[in-house]
Amino acid sequence: MRYNRQIILPEVGEKGQEKLTQAKVLIIGAGGLGAAILPYLAAAGIGEIGIIDDDAIEISNLQRQVIYKSDAVGKSKALEAKEMALSLNPLIQINAITDTLNVKNAIPLFEYYDIMVDATDNLHTKYLINDACVVTHKPFVYGSIYKFQGQISVFNYQNGPTYRCLFPDESSNSKNCVDSGVMGISVGIIGMFQANEVLKMVLGIGNVLSGELLIYNMLNNDQQKFDLVKTNTNPLNQLDFEKKYNIIENTVLEISAKEALEQIDNSDVLFLDVRNEEELPKISLTNSIQIPLSDLEENLKKLDLNKAILIYCQSGIRSKKAAEILKKHQFLKVQSISGGALKLQEIIANNAISVS
Amino acid sequence: MLKLKYFGAVAEKIKVQEENIPFSNSSLQELVDALEQKYDLTSLSYSIAVNQKIVQDTNNYMLISNDVVALLPPFAGG
Repeated sequence: MRYNRQIILPEVGEKGQEKLTQAKVLIIGAGGLGAAILPYLAAAGIGEIGIIDDDAIEISNLQRQVIYKSDAVGKSKALEAKEMALSLNPLIQINAITDTLNVKNAIPLFEYYDIMVDATDNLHTKYLINDACVVTHKPFVYGSIYKFQGQISVFNYQNGPTYRCLFPDESSNSKNCVDSGVMGISVGIIGMFQANEVLKMVLGIGNVLSGELLIYNMLNNDQQKFDLVKTNTNPLNQLDFEKKYNIIENTVLEISAKEALEQIDNSDVLFLDVRNEEELPKISLTNSIQIPLSDLEENLKKLDLNKAILIYCQSGIRSKKAAEILKKHQFLKVQSISGGALKLQEIIANNAISVS
Repeated sequence: MLKLKYFGAVAEKIKVQEENIPFSNSSLQELVDALEQKYDLTSLSYSIAVNQKIVQDTNNYMLISNDVVALLPPFAGG
């Protein structure tokens, strides 16, 4: 009998197993955290698990995304994850969604599932998950890593605090594993904490980390909890959600670094560097200004509303966020340079373009 | 005496995970402003907790001796 070892626990029993079978959980991201969470939820018998990720497996994933096989490099993470989970437990249903979570699919998806698990690698999606959970009245299990430290909490659970109650400032630019580095065990440990929260919530046992942020340090095994209260008194409804995110998602345009560099002599164009002062390589362009992303909103007056603003950061992620901010403040001609300073540098070096 | 605890990118910037500083009658925001100045934290975003509780209204929170203040930046890796 597959689930015998957990059914004999007084906290679980046949009733608990039935609750697990009836539960529908969506794991957003099939990367480091997702790869740790999925197998354990599948093994425990969560009846229906969705896994959403549009990425393909890369060789550098395999030092921490332990459910993938070396000969599966290039294949879809969501589909490979589904195959692994079903071969572990053929009794459950796995829905593999080869897409990114976005403004169009978030609400329909969240309406279908009971619990969302944040296994993402960027802040923008965490805010999207939060807002869609608020609209659909669903909880989400938050997890995140910075090098050897991790954070876990459960948001929007039984009227508890949300992610925005903890981190109201959306303009932050925290680094992910690509930029900072991570050991497989770190995402493994935090993923375990997240799977643990899901199981406690479904079974109705133990204390769920709602209203508490747990920070775990892999290097010294220090574990700390911080209490937080609900502060956000303006819950989003579906209309507000669509207005907010449609503005952000539909109008952020990207321009290739090559095309951007063709504009260096155009006086109607302004290059905006949103990195911090100390970041290299510096790209010296005549029509340019540097305003770090975290200072951008207070310094908008330094930018000419009539110019076409081409934004770059290190690799093209923060510049999209900057573009969203400018769009919200009536800047119409705004584009984010894909590939960022690194790509600009590469093209300049290869073509010996004269930039000043 | 006040105990300060730092996490993530904040701890990296400051180069320590915790430190003790002399106590002075100040609001939490005043303490944070002083730390921002001292360690050049303006490009970092973080929430602030005192004695393991997140505080939102830092301007009106008065510190007392032996308080433990933590700076908590959001993590993004996954």
